[in-house]
Amino acid sequence: MAQEAPSSGGSSRTLTMARAGREAVIAEMRKDPNIFVIGEDIAKLGGVFGTTVGMADEFGAQRVVDTPISETGFIGIATGAAMAGMRPIVEIAFVDFIGVCFNAIFNFAAKTHYMSGGQFKVPMTMMIGYGGGYNDAAQHSQCLIGTLAHVPGIRIVTPADAHDAKGLMHTCLRDDNLTIWMVHKAIWGLGWLGTAIKTAMATVPEEEYTIPFGKARIWREGTDVTLVGYGITVHHSLQAAEKLAAEGISAEVLDLRTIVPMDRDAIMKSVTKTGRVVVADEDYMNCGVTAEVLATIAERNPKALKAPAVRVANPDVPVPFSRPMENFALPDADKIVAAAIATLKS
Amino acid sequence: MIDITVPQDLWDTEDEGVIFVWIYADGALVEQGKLIAELTVEKAQLELTAPASGRLKILAPAETIVRKGTVIGRIEPP
Repeated sequence: MAQEAPSSGGSSRTLTMARAGREAVIAEMRKDPNIFVIGEDIAKLGGVFGTTVGMADEFGAQRVVDTPISETGFIGIATGAAMAGMRPIVEIAFVDFIGVCFNAIFNFAAKTHYMSGGQFKVPMTMMIGYGGGYNDAAQHSQCLIGTLAHVPGIRIVTPADAHDAKGLMHTCLRDDNLTIWMVHKAIWGLGWLGTAIKTAMATVPEEEYTIPFGKARIWREGTDVTLVGYGITVHHSLQAAEKLAAEGISAEVLDLRTIVPMDRDAIMKSVTKTGRVVVADEDYMNCGVTAEVLATIAERNPKALKAPAVRVANPDVPVPFSRPMENFALPDADKIVAAAIATLKS
Repeated sequence: MIDITVPQDLWDTEDEGVIFVWIYADGALVEQGKLIAELTVEKAQLELTAPASGRLKILAPAETIVRKGTVIGRIEPP
């Protein structure tokens, strides 16, 4: 694949997740005229989270489509376009608004390939922002990963840094099924959403590359306890691991990276080694991703655990607007540290 | 050698901005016109490009608060 422009002497680049994801989208759109992007504020504004900056100029209004505030409408348009042979990318800036898209996603995009006996594919990628921690209250701070993960027919990836963001976006765009690429708002790399989380920015190669679905990633090796997370909780877990190291506790940080299909082998390999597990997730605790991780352990080898598992997640409350209340409810490094210490005291 | 100055036309107001990220490391070879840093001003993420080709010298690290006209680095001979 020819480089689009001469590289700057081969110097390595540190990119934000928004820029890295966009690089993959642009590369794929240049190759395949069937790919188009549709969503709110993506053409003129370049996306609320900077996901499509500059793309309307390059690809035009037919391929970078601004919509009214009408998620039901444009997810239906995209689903139908995908069934007719196009490869749409739908941007939903806030996952909270997925509720008005459930019919198109759950009953059409996720099921049409199966129900048509393979006659119709739905090669649609959704690009979704999620998460809280910046006082945007209950209807603008949710994760809803557990909700989306629950229905068969959907692949969901949650890159936690810019390197993974680009590789997973290439994989999503080349896949012929419904794929959802989700980024926690605090790690897009936008100054107005809070202080930069340095561990979310990463060296990103200029060339194209893919990262397969269903492969977790160990960010930090350890021997005493496994800290499982995804998205923002990878970064909380990394901070927690540093604090635990100061107490002489060696924590392994496992990034699920793909929620569906989940890398259950990686979970078991790590937990078998350490014997202790903390699962951190900003989503609601009940019936969600944390439960799925623990179900995996319980089914495959409950004896791997030397102590009860501990989950750190939203304690099943609407995300508060008040800053101290929101900070109380959502996971953070200190809560993960406390959970890890609890597994070692059991 | 040429200074990397926050351009006067990078944003409209007189608000302060902050350097969000340097794309390249101190000492890296960079190319004129290519993106070398991102700045945050109010709710916008802005792009800063290299004024010349050469070796990047970072004077103001990420998280430094800047104004239009602030010198934040230099391009030195390769």
